[in-house]
Amino acid sequence: MIPAWKRRLSFTRLGRWYVGLTVGIGLAAVNTGNNLLFLVLGLLLASVVVSGILSEQSLRAVEVQRRLPSTATVGQPALIGLLARNGKPRVPSFSLELRERGGEVAGSGFLVILPPRQAAEVAYRFVPKRRGLHRFEQLEVATRAPFGLFEKSRPLEAPAELVVFPRQVDAAPLAARALAREGERPLDRAGLGLEVHSLRDHRAGEDARTIHWRSSARAGRLIGVDREQEKRRRVCVVLDQRGLSGEILERRVEQAAALVTRELDAGAEVALAVAGQRLAAGSGDAHLRKALTLLALLQAATVPLPPPQPDGESAVLEVRG
Amino acid sequence: MRFFAGHGVTLLQAQRWAGTLTAVFAFLACAVSGELGLPLVALFFVALLGAWFARGRLYGRGDWMWTAVLAAVMLLFAAQVFVGQLDIVVAAARFAELLLIHRLWHRGTQRDELLLLLLSLLALCAGASLAAELTFGLAFLGYAVAGTWALALTHLRFEIEAGRGPQGSAALLNSRRIATPALLAGLAALATLGLAGSAVVFFTFPRLTLRALHRPGRPSAVAGLSDHVDLARQGEIADDPRVVLRVQLDPAPRGDPSSLGFHWRAHALSRWTGQGWRAEETGMMPARTLPRRPKSGGHPATLSAEVETVGGFDDGIVLTPDGWPLSVQFRRPLSAHPVTPRLYRNAAGDLFYQPADAGDVRYVVTVDTAEPGLADLRGRGQQYPRWLAADLEVPGNLNPRVVALAKRLGAGKDPVDAALAVERWLTMALTYTRELPGEVADPISDFLFRRRAGHCELFSSAMVLMLRSLGIPARNVTGYYGGQRTDAGYYAVRAGDAHSWVEVWFPDAGYVSFDPTPPALRGGVKNTAWARMVLLWDALQQRWRVFVVDYNLVAQAQAMQRVVELISEAGHRLAGKGGSADRLRVLLAGLGVALLAGALALWARQVRSGGRPQKSQGPALDREQRRAFRLWRRGRATLRAAGVELAPSTTPWEAARRTQLPAVVALVSAYNAARWGGSPLSRAQVRGLLRDLKTSLRS
Repeated sequence: MIPAWKRRLSFTRLGRWYVGLTVGIGLAAVNTGNNLLFLVLGLLLASVVVSGILSEQSLRAVEVQRRLPSTATVGQPALIGLLARNGKPRVPSFSLELRERGGEVAGSGFLVILPPRQAAEVAYRFVPKRRGLHRFEQLEVATRAPFGLFEKSRPLEAPAELVVFPRQVDAAPLAARALAREGERPLDRAGLGLEVHSLRDHRAGEDARTIHWRSSARAGRLIGVDREQEKRRRVCVVLDQRGLSGEILERRVEQAAALVTRELDAGAEVALAVAGQRLAAGSGDAHLRKALTLLALLQAATVPLPPPQPDGESAVLEVRG
Repeated sequence: MRFFAGHGVTLLQAQRWAGTLTAVFAFLACAVSGELGLPLVALFFVALLGAWFARGRLYGRGDWMWTAVLAAVMLLFAAQVFVGQLDIVVAAARFAELLLIHRLWHRGTQRDELLLLLLSLLALCAGASLAAELTFGLAFLGYAVAGTWALALTHLRFEIEAGRGPQGSAALLNSRRIATPALLAGLAALATLGLAGSAVVFFTFPRLTLRALHRPGRPSAVAGLSDHVDLARQGEIADDPRVVLRVQLDPAPRGDPSSLGFHWRAHALSRWTGQGWRAEETGMMPARTLPRRPKSGGHPATLSAEVETVGGFDDGIVLTPDGWPLSVQFRRPLSAHPVTPRLYRNAAGDLFYQPADAGDVRYVVTVDTAEPGLADLRGRGQQYPRWLAADLEVPGNLNPRVVALAKRLGAGKDPVDAALAVERWLTMALTYTRELPGEVADPISDFLFRRRAGHCELFSSAMVLMLRSLGIPARNVTGYYGGQRTDAGYYAVRAGDAHSWVEVWFPDAGYVSFDPTPPALRGGVKNTAWARMVLLWDALQQRWRVFVVDYNLVAQAQAMQRVVELISEAGHRLAGKGGSADRLRVLLAGLGVALLAGALALWARQVRSGGRPQKSQGPALDREQRRAFRLWRRGRATLRAAGVELAPSTTPWEAARRTQLPAVVALVSAYNAARWGGSPLSRAQVRGLLRDLKTSLRS
């Protein structure tokens, strides 16, 4: 826990010059006894004090929150928001730099002014270089106001994690261990699919949408249609990461992610099997996130792991080099 | 001025204006010393205007030319310093000003702007070394405000540029909503705070030297101190309210009058030129001691006048008040190369100091004010020593009517009575005027018989010539008359107080002063608004000099001693040794309790907020709403005490639904109605609702 009073102070380049000049003028004043030089010295020293007070005023009661993006992918810029709120009732904060500190991600945003009792958000671009977990530790709110002589900063605890998905690549044609039929698969019983299962007489009170108009015209009476129940295509992406590491592992993971994405986009239910873990078949955005998260966090195996266990009912798509 | 037209200025404009203003004030701080020279002053303002109109169009052009010119000027200054033609501080100041001009023409990057501010600071320091007048103080004030603007706006401008990039920052830099009058006023207030801090540092920073050094001011000629008088050149005598002397008397004059009736003697002029007077050409000799006064018969009374010359006197004259000068003591000048002036005296008794260009000169003149009585001067005969021949010299072309008038007034009388008669006649019969148009061949005859009006030099000249025609030694004396009290506690003698009067020699008594000019019209600075402003300015200057320029180790020690005395006095009062000890003790105790309570409240607030700032509470609650808020908090506490699990996020209606108790529903309804619906909620209602709740929970 960082105490609220904790500050960091450092000189800017201008500040170093300023202090050097102040010392020089002070020496000249003491040496000559020239009171007007003492007056100038007084102004310079007082400006340092005023600068310190005002920078403290700028930092005081400023809270910062980090707003992480819902997804982040290697190589693609993501915007990370920094929401600053000035809790002071009357005094605005000037020239605030909000920045990451101590974590694995560096970035900052700048606010010219933050009026009292108001919030403002700035964002910085973050282009992840690697997949996996990125940890954020502290946020720092810093100001060089009012004169740019010193930089005073206040660290704030803001731990957070962001899972960066593998880089998006085109899914390469892969060898399938057992290829399934494309698209939905009829189950040979009546249901709510698209394929025609059987024709029969239309029953009174039945939904008019079940009428097969072409057969009715041909038969001269209303003919109803039963459609086949369909089952979505299921695939299981298999990645055996045992014995893989470094770039090879990365490429495989990217390929696996590409396959998962492609198959889900194509409407299939996708399972994911890696050594030691398996994600049951599913579809939709939430499932895609789960799969990509699993792949994002996949590490080279350091302990003996069981081989991937593909789903028996699914077509298996195995990721190979 | 667009500031005041309500349109505001862009941040860029404000930043550039502030930088320019800072440079101007720094330049003025240097220029008021008069050491920069008129060409450089003119060049600065021409360059300033040029830079303003060029607005950066010439940025980066002709750099080689600037470099060459600056290098050449630097070499020239170095050579002048080397051969002793130019003071090194003046050379440095002039070169700093040239660099400032150069930078005003080259403003584009952050480095340029910061260099401009840096050079401005150097110019200010040069000004501090060259000037010691109040005008520097005013320029310093301006610099403090403009410098604060410039530093803050420059920082803001380049922070925005760095934070948002050139394109992203353009909108903000050209926005008129940042450098608002409110922001500039706030920064000016900040500068005021800085100035207050500067004053604190100034007065408390330990002084290590006894002397506060500064360069001497430039001497300037002042009216009233010329060693000759030309009566033929007539016209209107301008009223000149400039202060030339500051005088403090010891003992102070009785009744603390607003104006003094003192003559401040400078020169004795014995030689009549036919058109006026000039001083005898006698050499000066060092005067370690002054001649003793012949026995006057009166009781000796001494008066000390501490005289400070303002602006300097180019002929180094010591002015003495009415009376016989006993001693002159010079104050050691507070300059970088102090030279204590030495006193000289000529045959006419005029006092001088050397070197005459010692700058600010202060001395204490002690005089014996016990003038011999008129009765004592009678009967001393008319046997005069030969060295008085010059004072008895009657011009050969003196109008016989003047002689006749003198004889009519004083023939056959004792010299003192004759002098009194002539003085009285001139005072009563003639009038005073400063307007004497045209030139006349015989100014004395013109004054006595034609115009019958004139200024003090004509009065005194006429009296001297008339007395000399009677065989009485007399001479014309010039100096000042008067002295106006100022708010700063000293008497100011002004250039317009220049005056002329008469000294008559009596055996065994020496020279005695007579003044034929009507008393009400001697001196002559009119009390106009301008004259009052000049006096006010001088009083400010004197205070500036005393409290700032001459502040030294002794003054600091005295100030600290005074602070210690104040603390000690407060301690005595607290200890019950003063008159109002009890009240003071109660006051201090109350103050202490208030401070302690305030500190505790702040601490509690910090603890409650966990070191975080409090969140915004939105609009303030009115009394009913606060009561409703307390009702719900107490109701919730009661429910929790009864075992109902309520999370902090549980709303009142959720609590009511969960408990299914009519008393809770009633409490929540009343809470909602008062908190959100504007319904009244009395204390009795609150008490009743809480009582019902407790009863319901018990049952």
